[in-house]
Amino acid sequence: MNRNYIFLTVLMLLLAGGTLFLQKADDREQIDPATLLWETIQPTRYVSTDDVAKWIIQKDPSLELVDVRPAAEFAKFSLPKAINVPLDSLVNESSMDYFGIPGMNVVFISNDGIKADEAWVLTKRLGFNSIYVMKGGLNHWIETIIQPKVPAEEAPHKAFETYAFRKGAQLYFTGAKVETTKAKKVKVMVRRKKKVAVASGGC
Amino acid sequence: MHVHDLNPRNTIIAVLVLVIVILIGFFTMHQPLMTYKLDMKQSLEMLNKPDACFYPWQLVDVLNKKDKNVVLIDIRNKFMYGQGHIPGAENISAYDLTKEENIERLEAFKEKGLRVVLYGDDQLQANAPWMLFRQVGFDNVKILLGGYDYYLLHKADLMATKTDKGYLKGIPRYNFAKVASKSGITTINTKSRSKKPVIIRRKKKAAVASGGC
Repeated sequence: MNRNYIFLTVLMLLLAGGTLFLQKADDREQIDPATLLWETIQPTRYVSTDDVAKWIIQKDPSLELVDVRPAAEFAKFSLPKAINVPLDSLVNESSMDYFGIPGMNVVFISNDGIKADEAWVLTKRLGFNSIYVMKGGLNHWIETIIQPKVPAEEAPHKAFETYAFRKGAQLYFTGAKVETTKAKKVKVMVRRKKKVAVASGGC
Repeated sequence: MHVHDLNPRNTIIAVLVLVIVILIGFFTMHQPLMTYKLDMKQSLEMLNKPDACFYPWQLVDVLNKKDKNVVLIDIRNKFMYGQGHIPGAENISAYDLTKEENIERLEAFKEKGLRVVLYGDDQLQANAPWMLFRQVGFDNVKILLGGYDYYLLHKADLMATKTDKGYLKGIPRYNFAKVASKSGITTINTKSRSKKPVIIRRKKKAAVASGGC
């Protein structure tokens, strides 16, 4: 047998043996920290409460609301069709099924956006795309959609359009429509003019 | 007859060159600027550590120069920084945070044992960069709770904010279930749409239809 072949074989075996010392990669491919930092400073990762309200009303099939509040708070109140993945259990393998579904846009929701933001950073680190944060969280949801404020008189036209939308969304999310029908039952009392007792004068 | 049998020396040279190339490749391998020092579980636990935060009232000592081990970093853009900032803060806008020189500066701060406090307009702006720096091992980086907006409102008396809970995040500010329910809404709306009967008063005609044609 040729000496060279033996030498080459031994070299290959040594190199193959070297792979044993490679560090075991994490289960999931994580994105580079510098990339993650770059991604975190993009303002496009936030969506407004108005956007979310619009998508819910339009029954957007690509919308996936992920509520990261604790289960007890979620049980008391949640947005329609939201799923609950408490932040504590976010990095569990079982929670991963909710992310990375092709064609779905995940929107994280929390009380004021901070916890949702944290969920975003952790999920992004795991390399998932199409994830967003509802800016302001549920506190802001209440302030804008459930209790919209009338814009000031000198506010731009856009503010009034937003207000009109929010007013409609408010009816949609609270079912307050019923109230408007009740309002119709209000009796309109018309006081007729009393006729003057004496028809005095005349032609 | 194989080609190698003709010149075994050439084969050895070729193998040596290959090994050298691999070794050069190995040693000059691109070293990433930052690597994760905390795994996912640790990153999650880090979020609940109270010492990862910097409270507005802690700024008092920094502004009095009593606490000289704190570096304030304003991550807003240059324009906003120019409009006003916490005294002594330096400006590294969020877009410049990824620059190598700034990462190296953070490393220098860490070696000197300085604490770094990041702040943006609100807490949310600085939240993600803060989380990231923590994950890559800068355990001296903290986040200013409430952000610049809160500081601006309370800069006259920062010590008084010790008892204020207004800037704390992650707390529901409303009873969502109640406020967002139908009954919650009626209490807001019925003011203008109350069930009071609508009274239409006609203009009274002059009392006496006096006179005539």
